[in-house]
Amino acid sequence: MRGRNLFAALIYGLTAAVGLLAFLYPVITAGRTTNTPLLLAFVVGLSFVALLLEVQGDAANTRFVALLGILTAINAVLRFAEVAIPGPGGFSPVFFLIILTGYVYGGRFGFLLGALTLLVSALITGGVGPWLPYQMLTAGWVGLSAPLLRPPIRRLHAEGRRPEIGLLALFGLVWGLLYGALMNLSSWSFIVGPGAPMPTTFREIVRLYTAFYVTTSLLWDLARGFGNVALILAFGAPTLRALRRFHKRFSFTYQPQTA
Amino acid sequence: MIHFEHVTYTYPDAARPALRDVSLPIPAGAFALVMGASGVGKSTLLRCLNGLVPHFSGGTLTGRVTVEGHDPVTRGPQEMSRLVGFVFQDPEAQFVMDRVEDEIAFALENAAIPTGEMSACVEGALEQLHLIPLRRRKLETLSGGEKQRVAIASALALHPRVLVLDEPTSQLDPQSAAELLDALVRLNKTLGLTVVLAEHRLERILPFVDQVIYLPDDDAPVLSGPPRRVLPHVPLLPPLQTLAQALGWSPLPLTLEEARHFVSTDSTDSTDETDSFNPLKSVQSVDRTPAVVRARGLEVAYGPTLALRGVDMALYRGEIVALLGRNGAGKTTLLKSLVGLLRPQRGEVQLEGHPIATMDVAEVCRRVGYLPQDPNALLFADTVLDELHITLHNHGLTPSTAPIAPETLLAHLGLADKAQQYPRDLSVGERQRVALGAIMVTQPAALLLDEPTRGLDYRAKTQLRDLLRAWRDAALAILLVSHDVELIAETADRVMVMDQGVIVAHGRPAEVLRAWPTFTPQIAQMFPKQSWLTVKEALAGIVGI
Amino acid sequence: MLHAAAWLVWLAAALIIASVTRNPLYLTLLLAVLMTTIRTIRRPETPSTAPLAPGRFALYVIPLAAIINALLSRVGETVLCTIPTNWPLIGGPITAEALTYGALNGLLLTTLFAAFTVLNLAVPVHDLIRFVPRAFYPVAVITSIAVTFVPTTLRQIQQIREAQAIRGHRMRRLRDWLPLFMPLLIGGLERALQLAEALAARGFAAETVKARAGGTQTISIAGLLAILGGGLLVAWQEVRWGTVLLGVGGAAIVGTLWLAGRRVPHTTYRRTPWGYREWLVTGGAFVAGAGFLFFGQATRVYNPYPALTWPAFDILTGTALLGLLLPVLVAESE
Repeated sequence: MRGRNLFAALIYGLTAAVGLLAFLYPVITAGRTTNTPLLLAFVVGLSFVALLLEVQGDAANTRFVALLGILTAINAVLRFAEVAIPGPGGFSPVFFLIILTGYVYGGRFGFLLGALTLLVSALITGGVGPWLPYQMLTAGWVGLSAPLLRPPIRRLHAEGRRPEIGLLALFGLVWGLLYGALMNLSSWSFIVGPGAPMPTTFREIVRLYTAFYVTTSLLWDLARGFGNVALILAFGAPTLRALRRFHKRFSFTYQPQTA
Repeated sequence: MIHFEHVTYTYPDAARPALRDVSLPIPAGAFALVMGASGVGKSTLLRCLNGLVPHFSGGTLTGRVTVEGHDPVTRGPQEMSRLVGFVFQDPEAQFVMDRVEDEIAFALENAAIPTGEMSACVEGALEQLHLIPLRRRKLETLSGGEKQRVAIASALALHPRVLVLDEPTSQLDPQSAAELLDALVRLNKTLGLTVVLAEHRLERILPFVDQVIYLPDDDAPVLSGPPRRVLPHVPLLPPLQTLAQALGWSPLPLTLEEARHFVSTDSTDSTDETDSFNPLKSVQSVDRTPAVVRARGLEVAYGPTLALRGVDMALYRGEIVALLGRNGAGKTTLLKSLVGLLRPQRGEVQLEGHPIATMDVAEVCRRVGYLPQDPNALLFADTVLDELHITLHNHGLTPSTAPIAPETLLAHLGLADKAQQYPRDLSVGERQRVALGAIMVTQPAALLLDEPTRGLDYRAKTQLRDLLRAWRDAALAILLVSHDVELIAETADRVMVMDQGVIVAHGRPAEVLRAWPTFTPQIAQMFPKQSWLTVKEALAGIVGI
Repeated sequence: MLHAAAWLVWLAAALIIASVTRNPLYLTLLLAVLMTTIRTIRRPETPSTAPLAPGRFALYVIPLAAIINALLSRVGETVLCTIPTNWPLIGGPITAEALTYGALNGLLLTTLFAAFTVLNLAVPVHDLIRFVPRAFYPVAVITSIAVTFVPTTLRQIQQIREAQAIRGHRMRRLRDWLPLFMPLLIGGLERALQLAEALAARGFAAETVKARAGGTQTISIAGLLAILGGGLLVAWQEVRWGTVLLGVGGAAIVGTLWLAGRRVPHTTYRRTPWGYREWLVTGGAFVAGAGFLFFGQATRVYNPYPALTWPAFDILTGTALLGLLLPVLVAESE
């Protein structure tokens, strides 16, 4: 079991590294190569496959499959609402459930809910596009990283109390901003583009990215981050109670007695 | 062949076993009916047959179950799926795919049946359930009855030798339920399939049942045997059998035909009052006070189709009015427009003399309670008591300024000891009463109920009936939309029948119910020349003669 | 209806062409081909929730991309105006070249969007799910369940809204969403338990995938290391070794998929026939892709910097691109 967990951790770490490489690629290459989108699609696609295989292998439990299916439908419908009702900027209700289920039911559950919510909502609204794998991967990471909050909350003895919700809200804020920043990294090579003479010094690159970030998405990301905070503060406690109530019914496996 | 040998099963964290020392055989090819109140372990018993208990429920199981020589506990549900097909209560909660054919093929794909053989299996299953014309339809476009037929076909695709069904008709209207049960009888007779069925609607299938398995609520042992031997020990039975038992008819009649042998022709003399029935004859209102709810010329449209085409009706204090009609006749639409959830294109609704067009739904519902079909949609609080407090809070009230103390209402609903429980842990009947509590806590003047007996067992139905009668006597105006003619026969003061958006009949229960064969209660079918509708009336009549 | 796999080959060709060129003439031609295809396959019953039309997408994206690039890029000889340099981040000259280049990026995005719009219109969701590799069978089932439950969820929301309204619920603040959200969530959790039983009763067992040896994980890790190394090498101009490593890594990951898939006993019911029309469409896609890569080498790269020039156009390359029109011809022959 221990060995398997170590392997799993290695796979998470490596896919994170590959993902980071892909996201930072335009910065690293600084305009030297062309055709980055194809290469990136290849690299991101493969690391996504490896990660998905690992995550799925351990979440394989028929009850979790049923639960993921239904929660994904609910979350995808919530995303519908986001498209239909033009809310403030990048506000999106989908991260709320991704964070909370990742926190309660485990990172793998959160990863699958995150990735599949974006996939399914794209499928039903006809919004499949080249950005989808990046969105799936990033939203998956939101859920996968949620259990990182467990140790500090346990240390604070905050389960079921206010600091727990506070920490979750903070987590939502950070991911709200980070999600936007990461999605930008994936798209700015498109927008700013290869072939264009890119700055060569690191400082110049950072300046350029900052300009790009501030002009294109800072407002959106702030709306998303604070949207997460508001949702978690308002609905976090009752949702956690409901998820925990059902946790036991979903997660056991039957061990026949050896009589 | 199925064997239970000294099976005792306890759910995790439960104090008492759900099944206690059950031993019984079910012969191959039998049609076995599992009876008992909600929560006595019918579902548990059925789930032992394919290993869902204990593999999906945890807990401890002792004793031994064998199905065709296999032990579901060691085999597990996946392997047992080849031997035992399983159909569940809620047709909405068992589908994976979007189209009929693909849904039926799902089990075959899991079992890795070669593609060539697969299409033969799918064709067979489609044909047995008369689904050929629906094969390419999307599941979401099917009616409840059609969905359950798809569920049965999916369960049959792998050619199991046993078909297990857990209250498959509880969410269906009587017509679809009857069709479904007929299909089961046919499968049992033509394929020799062993059918094990838990079911509350007994009238239709009793004649075809070979074996009844009765699970009593107390710690008495499980009874199993031919219907005539077991049924006399079952406390709540359909009207026909209740009457037969009260009159000591033996052997117990299972069908109307059998029962008629016990009725001498001379005791059913005609009193010719039913001959001159006029469906729209006006009925004297019970009270001269103004109507609580009144609709005038109500027209409601969904897009281009008119769901209500000019409805006039009134509801007075201290009466129960029943509204009958086929699915899609416009009954739910009428209820929703009476509380303002739907706004009419023409006509108006008045609440105690004031038009509701200017009020919002919350204002109307404080005076007119409405219990929707699925009470689960109401409940989300952590305790039963909280549910009542939430409604009060919505109306700007507190428990102390409420027209009735929440605890008093809960006691009245028989939920006093459940006040601190999680509503979703309760049984279907109890959840419904919690929902009623959440609605009645504002003490409205009228109560509208949409199919309140759906999914209820006989005991929960009896409790609901008594509750409605008590509220009527306390001057509440009640409008009851239901397919349950027995409940209507026992409670209603007036009956209205709706068809294609208009009220086509209106009158006393004895007159209206007899005029439509599908709405005629068993007792009225039994004694066509009398005006009796219920066992009580029949007993009074017969013993009086 | 065309086989879904034929559409996927067609889409791959369109995406490859779009991503190797920045020549506005080819891009416009490709977009025209895609729009014609959309017009042919769009059926009257297509739901209105469906896609933003590529035309409207272009209307937003092209100007936006042009402006952003003009603000960020300082290169180009044709200066249109100058933003004072003391403005933080965006100060500097605005050039026609940067504006053009940004607009080209917008055009490229529109083309990609249109290509996926075709896929969304042409292939039903459940047919797409069938292409999920066998190793991901549980994920495919989750996706299938989710798509199946979307209409149920929408109906559920409507019921909950009404049920709460009749107990006096009003929408005023954020917290008033709670009575709508909680019954939806709890109802979903309850329904999931029932659905899990229904899945198991029909022989679905996600657990079969779980029996994974550490072997697959080791291969997975090796593959990821190779991809990481290969990516870095390519980034540092070691293209040849980098490509080799990327290939090895890709093979390793595909290998793990194959290994994991072997353990999932599963067959498929649906067999869409593969006929001459599928051959025509895939053949057309192949001609378009290969022809574009072969003939277009000289003309496909267009760079407006340092000064705007008129893009070149090669007639053979343009003709090859028309191979993507075969779905339209095939559909009209029906």
